[in-house]
Amino acid sequence: MRHRRRAVAADPEKKAGRPWIAPRDLWTEAVAGVLARPLRSALTTLGTVLGIGTLVITIGVASTAAHQIVGRFNALTATSVTVEVPPPASDTVPLVDWEGIAAVDRLAGVESSAALAQTDELAAVQVRTNDVVTPGGLSGQTLAVAAASPSLPAAVRGDVTAGRFYDGGDIARHARVAVLGDQAARLLGITEVNDSPAVFFNGHSFTVIGILGGFKREQRLSTSVILPPTTARDRLGLGTVNRVLINTSLGAAQQVARQSPVALTPNSAKALTVLAPPDLSKARKGVQGDVNSLFLVLGLVSLIVGAIGIANVTLVTVMERVGEIGLRRALGASRRQIAGQFLMESTTIGLLGGVIGAALGTVVVVSVSAVKDWTPVLDGRLALGAPVVGAVVGLLAGVYPSLRASRMEPVEALRAPS
Amino acid sequence: MTGPLAPGDIPDEGDVIKLIGVHRTFDSDPPVHALRDVNLTVRRGEHLSIVGPSGSGKSTLLNTLGLLDSPSSGDYWLDGVRTGALTDRQRTALRGSSIGFVFQSFHLLPYRTVEENVMLAEIYRRPRPGRARRSRAERARAALDRVGLSHRHGFRPDRLSGGERQRVAIARALMSEPALLLCDEPTGNLDSENTLSVLDLFDQLGAQGMTLVVITHDEAVSRRATKRVRIHDGQLSQEYA
Ligand SMILES: Nc1ncnc2c1ncn2[C@@H]1O[C@H](COP(=O)(O)OP(=O)(O)OP(=O)(O)O)[C@@H](O)[C@H]1O
Ligand SMILES: [Mg+2]
Repeated sequence: MRHRRRAVAADPEKKAGRPWIAPRDLWTEAVAGVLARPLRSALTTLGTVLGIGTLVITIGVASTAAHQIVGRFNALTATSVTVEVPPPASDTVPLVDWEGIAAVDRLAGVESSAALAQTDELAAVQVRTNDVVTPGGLSGQTLAVAAASPSLPAAVRGDVTAGRFYDGGDIARHARVAVLGDQAARLLGITEVNDSPAVFFNGHSFTVIGILGGFKREQRLSTSVILPPTTARDRLGLGTVNRVLINTSLGAAQQVARQSPVALTPNSAKALTVLAPPDLSKARKGVQGDVNSLFLVLGLVSLIVGAIGIANVTLVTVMERVGEIGLRRALGASRRQIAGQFLMESTTIGLLGGVIGAALGTVVVVSVSAVKDWTPVLDGRLALGAPVVGAVVGLLAGVYPSLRASRMEPVEALRAPS
Repeated sequence: MTGPLAPGDIPDEGDVIKLIGVHRTFDSDPPVHALRDVNLTVRRGEHLSIVGPSGSGKSTLLNTLGLLDSPSSGDYWLDGVRTGALTDRQRTALRGSSIGFVFQSFHLLPYRTVEENVMLAEIYRRPRPGRARRSRAERARAALDRVGLSHRHGFRPDRLSGGERQRVAIARALMSEPALLLCDEPTGNLDSENTLSVLDLFDQLGAQGMTLVVITHDEAVSRRATKRVRIHDGQLSQEYA
């Protein structure tokens, strides 16, 4: 008999079992603790809500904006190359002639190209139409005049909205024809070309055979009168190419930018200036980098403030619940279980802050996108990760108060009222 | 364990409590000798009452018996286990599994209902056969029924009278069916009728084999005990029925 009891005495854990709590009970106790003072708990989440919200908004808006900017690059800028040709020294041959673009068209990755001639003298010209009769004699509009290759509509990615664009035949015949940019046509009151309207300027008349609109690049041509290069040279002395527009396939812009000066003028390629789009991936990174860093710091600071808030309130809560801690110890709670409960409470508050912050942040990102007419880009990992970050903040904030709670001696704790 | 034990120092089978030369001194200024050379044996199913003036050390003795406090010197054997040799964790486990408390100041959680307060007695124990988590609320009602309070199960403690709170505290202690029930003034706030029904309840518990230690000022309560001791200035003296 006595032997059996000694065996029990030597191993009391076997007799009593180890301190134990069902996870569900731990959760229930923690939630009850959080809900015991709902207003205080709600206010305690504020710091985390702000921190997580700022982070979600920052990252969300930044990636949305980056997506937007990169999207624009994709559509247009990333495939546009422009070559500027300096004016030749007097009496020498032009650096690039009108047939030069044929060599550019042969380059791999080039989809379309056109040469342009524009001068300052012809940037503002009084243009009249044949049927405008204005009292007082002053009629017409101030427009620009330009000469361009027949491939211009494709090169500016525009549409001929009326009539036709001039072709090689018109150029060979030095035909006195003109195409109007859509804004120029509107200003002159010309909407269609079936009755062969004419425009007059600098003492010459030209038959309007078409209207070009929908410019995606080189928008100022929309207020220009566009002439075949031969005609322009004969009548206006406008014959020197000073600009070449090139459109490339996606990703080919950098290479075409390197090769096109040589194709245009093998001997003095260095004299030409090439405008090419920035490297796409660099642009994306640049945008994200700019927007993020400041607000990320702001978000992290709010999170730290939030964590201090949770730690502070949890500590106050622990001090108010000393009697409860004593009671739980008397009911068989171990130090670890006491710590576990307060850790769970602070984690719950952090989690709550994370969920609310992520939700508010998402709403803000979507609203900003709606206002700016952007497509919101929301990373699922961000939306799911934010509450986890909140919970971790709460967990870390709860460490010190929980240790304080677990270190209390049961008798001392029971002396406090509960 | 330190040194060989004298033959009389080893508790018999059936001794739930055995205190041998227990002292408890608080290191305050001046030091307080709350318990002085206390020797006490309580056998299974016994109902011990402790009487004594205020400040004489009754609560200190009860805390010691409940493993909430440790003697400064001397031995406390609980159900054959020498508690001085236990770790904090082991004491906690033993307390949770076999000791129930009714505190002088009740210690009910103000933000939980009466029923939840009673159920709290069970959450720190491994579920035993017939005591599943699912039936916990049922058992809490049954415990409340035994103290005549099942109609108050949804109340918050702050809406209860002092006597009702005291009975909730008793129901919570019953809930875990402890082998040893320690009560500090369990009838202090009860009228004579409720006191009598609590005493009847104690008799039933004793008959079931539960060991009771009850601190009281009330002679009527003390008289119902099977064994009585008086404490004065930390010193225990036997009383005979
Ligand atoms: N932690 C402590 N530090 C110093 N003295 C203490 C401490 N705890 C109790 N005492 C003292 O020990 C003595 C016994 O206290 P105890 O609480 O056991 O009295 P009691 O008999 O329960 O009194 P009452 O009937 O008023 O509840 C008292 O004088 C008290 O002041
Ligand atoms: Mg007392």
